[in-house]
Amino acid sequence: MERIGFLKKEKIEEYLQSLSKKGELYVPVDVGRAVKFEKYLTGSSICLDRPPTLPPKSVIYPQSERLFKFKFKKDEGNVDLIEIEEVEDTKKRIIFGARPCDSAGFSVIDNVFIQTDTPDVYYERRRMNSFIAAKACDKPSAGCFCIAVGGGPFDDSGSDALITELEEGYLIEAKTEKGSLFLDWELIEPGDDHLEKKLKKKEESERLLSEYLGELKKIEPLDPKTESFNDENFWKRHLSKCISCGLCTYLCPTCYCFNITDEKKIFEGERIRSWDSCMFFHFTLEASGHNPRPDKFKRFRNRVGHKFMFYPEKYSQLIACCGCGRCIRFCPVSVDIREVVFELQKPRRV
Amino acid sequence: MGPKKNPYLPEIVTVVRIIEETPTIKSLQVVFDDPERMKNFKFEPGQVGQLSVFGVGEATFVINSPPTRKEYLQFSVMKVGEVTSAIHELHEGDKLGLRAPLGNWFPYESMKGRNILFIGGGIGLAPLRTLILFMLDNRKDYGRITILYGARTPIDLCYKEDLKDWGSRDDVDLVLTVDNEYPGWDKKVGLVPNVLLEMAPKPDNTVAITCGPPIMIKYTLIALSKLGFKDEDIITTLERRMKCGIGLCGRCNIGSKYVCKDGPVFSLAQLKSLPQEEY
Amino acid sequence: MVELKEKISEVFRDTNLVICWREGFDPIHATPHFVREESQIEDSIFNLFCVHNLCVYLPFLKEKAGILVKGCDSRTLIQFLQEGLIRREDVVIIGISCRGIIDVGKLMREVLYEAVTGVSIDGDSIKVKTVSREREFQLTSLLADKCKICRYPNPLIYDHLIGEPVESKVSWDMAYEDIREFEKKPLEDRLSFWTKEIGKCIRCYACRNACPLCICRDRCIAETRDPHFTSQSVELKEKFMFHFIHAVHLAGRCVECGECERACPVGIPVKMMKKKINLEMKELFDYETGINVDDKPPMYTFKAEEEKIKEHEL
Repeated sequence: MERIGFLKKEKIEEYLQSLSKKGELYVPVDVGRAVKFEKYLTGSSICLDRPPTLPPKSVIYPQSERLFKFKFKKDEGNVDLIEIEEVEDTKKRIIFGARPCDSAGFSVIDNVFIQTDTPDVYYERRRMNSFIAAKACDKPSAGCFCIAVGGGPFDDSGSDALITELEEGYLIEAKTEKGSLFLDWELIEPGDDHLEKKLKKKEESERLLSEYLGELKKIEPLDPKTESFNDENFWKRHLSKCISCGLCTYLCPTCYCFNITDEKKIFEGERIRSWDSCMFFHFTLEASGHNPRPDKFKRFRNRVGHKFMFYPEKYSQLIACCGCGRCIRFCPVSVDIREVVFELQKPRRV
Repeated sequence: MGPKKNPYLPEIVTVVRIIEETPTIKSLQVVFDDPERMKNFKFEPGQVGQLSVFGVGEATFVINSPPTRKEYLQFSVMKVGEVTSAIHELHEGDKLGLRAPLGNWFPYESMKGRNILFIGGGIGLAPLRTLILFMLDNRKDYGRITILYGARTPIDLCYKEDLKDWGSRDDVDLVLTVDNEYPGWDKKVGLVPNVLLEMAPKPDNTVAITCGPPIMIKYTLIALSKLGFKDEDIITTLERRMKCGIGLCGRCNIGSKYVCKDGPVFSLAQLKSLPQEEY
Repeated sequence: MVELKEKISEVFRDTNLVICWREGFDPIHATPHFVREESQIEDSIFNLFCVHNLCVYLPFLKEKAGILVKGCDSRTLIQFLQEGLIRREDVVIIGISCRGIIDVGKLMREVLYEAVTGVSIDGDSIKVKTVSREREFQLTSLLADKCKICRYPNPLIYDHLIGEPVESKVSWDMAYEDIREFEKKPLEDRLSFWTKEIGKCIRCYACRNACPLCICRDRCIAETRDPHFTSQSVELKEKFMFHFIHAVHLAGRCVECGECERACPVGIPVKMMKKKINLEMKELFDYETGINVDDKPPMYTFKAEEEKIKEHEL
């Protein structure tokens, strides 16, 4: 079976229309001063010329979702009953136009939510029923550093298909079984002839990124014995400017921490699971008032630790950061996580 | 492969008995509505459960009745927050949700043949109670059992029936203490770590197991080290804000370990290998 | 810049902490800089990218500090002093007369977020070099909106002043023309505008935490269960609820530094709500925030019969 196709630019609209008939299609859309993934509607103008402000994380892992509904009832004998109604979402979802880092982000979450003896069935169901086509990046955006954490502008990990934008159209390469979904032979033509152009583009893009990164080209997992990690002054020096909002975590393709809360009406209610942020005071606040991470320094340390030390420790030295750069690009005070990790590793480099 | 079990779905339990331990602590005995489940339910001493008050939320409590006594599961709840306040409003016959068992347990197998020193403070006696009762039900497997238990005042001591029993047994040494002098109190007065230093138990062939408020744990660990206990022989059980109970939601970690899944039981040796954080 | 560093040095000797700016991760980003060692002074800068209102840190500092403020930022200090959130003796203020700063978000959008490798400013034009090309912009086209209608380019409170005074020709009416224009739109249009904009909110609370006057922070009702005003679901009504509470809590307190809007990653024009309320404050109480230290914010006071609220004449 042919695995590489080419879609002419003028056919993109028709192509997306056809994709949207195969499942719920999500594409990056300019919503005014931001680009986010929205359900494709006929006429939606897809925005591929800049990195999406928000990753497509929420398509598979919604910011809030109902885990189940409960109803308070009574049986014939007037005894209280509680009825639990589970939510099962088996919809097929298609994401077109993620970035390679966004797809890599799902791989990070997969390890935690799926590769465990107690998988998160909600995420797993959606993940298994989703198809992701990532658009390779031509040039680095502000704060990008995917190659430093093992990814790349043309990396396909976590993606089912990789799209390369060429002058006349899009090269579509299926990378998994599921990727065939993106090869709609009614609209596309064989793409092998364009492979060479793609390789050139890839090389150029990697060169640009590596030049842009300079000395930040490679970030290693943090050694658990990293001295500065336990040094409060280190965190004060680098994070005094942090305003402790949750922007970095909510824009992050790999952050997955969540909260579970109940909402109730009189005779029924629901348990919802919603994104939470380790940067918030409430995240670890115990009912007694005790808080093991009461200040932003401890919280940021945990964020850096989670991504660059604890996660690698658990998952064969993989870093839980895909280098998308959003936390840097959009941080209101320009906290640069690369710089922090780099500084932590400095003594070892010297 | 059959459908995967949804780890977030609670099972329904009914409260069969409520015991007022102190003005702020109640113990609830619950049974699964499904009698088969009750019969087949297996857990280990030290494991926890997530109790749901539907509409209010979930909170984590240790199962403080031992697996050797299985007519019911007991949880002790101090009224401190939203969920615990709602639990305190419950009556016998009320329904709750339960997700259990969760977490790890006390390494009771490796403690066989050794002396056991329990050090508890306030409601921190709950997890120790499970293991104490379990060990008393398997008494011959263990050496000397010493229990040091303290609370702010005599009124704040939990499990008064158990304390009476343990105090009267020949095979248990029970030391009770309260923080300050109190009318009618004829036992020890002083903070748990100080009383511990005063007791100066020998570390030889002894495992120390402690649980209590964070500040008590902190100083008890220091005291035990001072008394010569090895880090591997000091065991504590930690409390954290938990939500999922299955190592996913990300809030109860200390370094790479999740208190809900890799804990709540840790040895001091394990804790020392993790990033420094307040427990 | 010599003057800047000299002033910072001078203040640092007295306070041991000066909050200023240094260059950020790329040439179009500055970042707040906490000078705690003499050697860090060298990195301090002031340029068109020093957009942050550094006052946001002050109410939570437990030490004396020197601070750099632009004209607009300085109003925050006055508001803090009115509300007793800081003590005058705990801050040493280095004021900077300001000709406006760049809307960095807008600039990033203009270059499609391409990584910027260089920037040079020549008179009224700015050249921005990205990884793939160079582009030239008129400075005025990139100026932050708040700067185009700035009435306070010069700090209203300071201990040291840097720069020549800047004249503003902007009147009150000019500054609020945007709000008045918006209000002329039919209700349905305004509703659909806000539905779309607030719908983008991801509840990251960057707007709240970037706001120097949002001082509840860790106790914010957006996250508490007691009181339980908002749920954690991402429904539109929850988002509206949060933004309304945010805006209303700032009635008579917002100094329009625009940090909420600047911090928003998805570009919700949240400042509009606050400007609207400020307009009401002016009309009802003839009050403008952050101008005189001795003023009392209207919501902090009570008059049995307000001049312009005739509640007893029903």
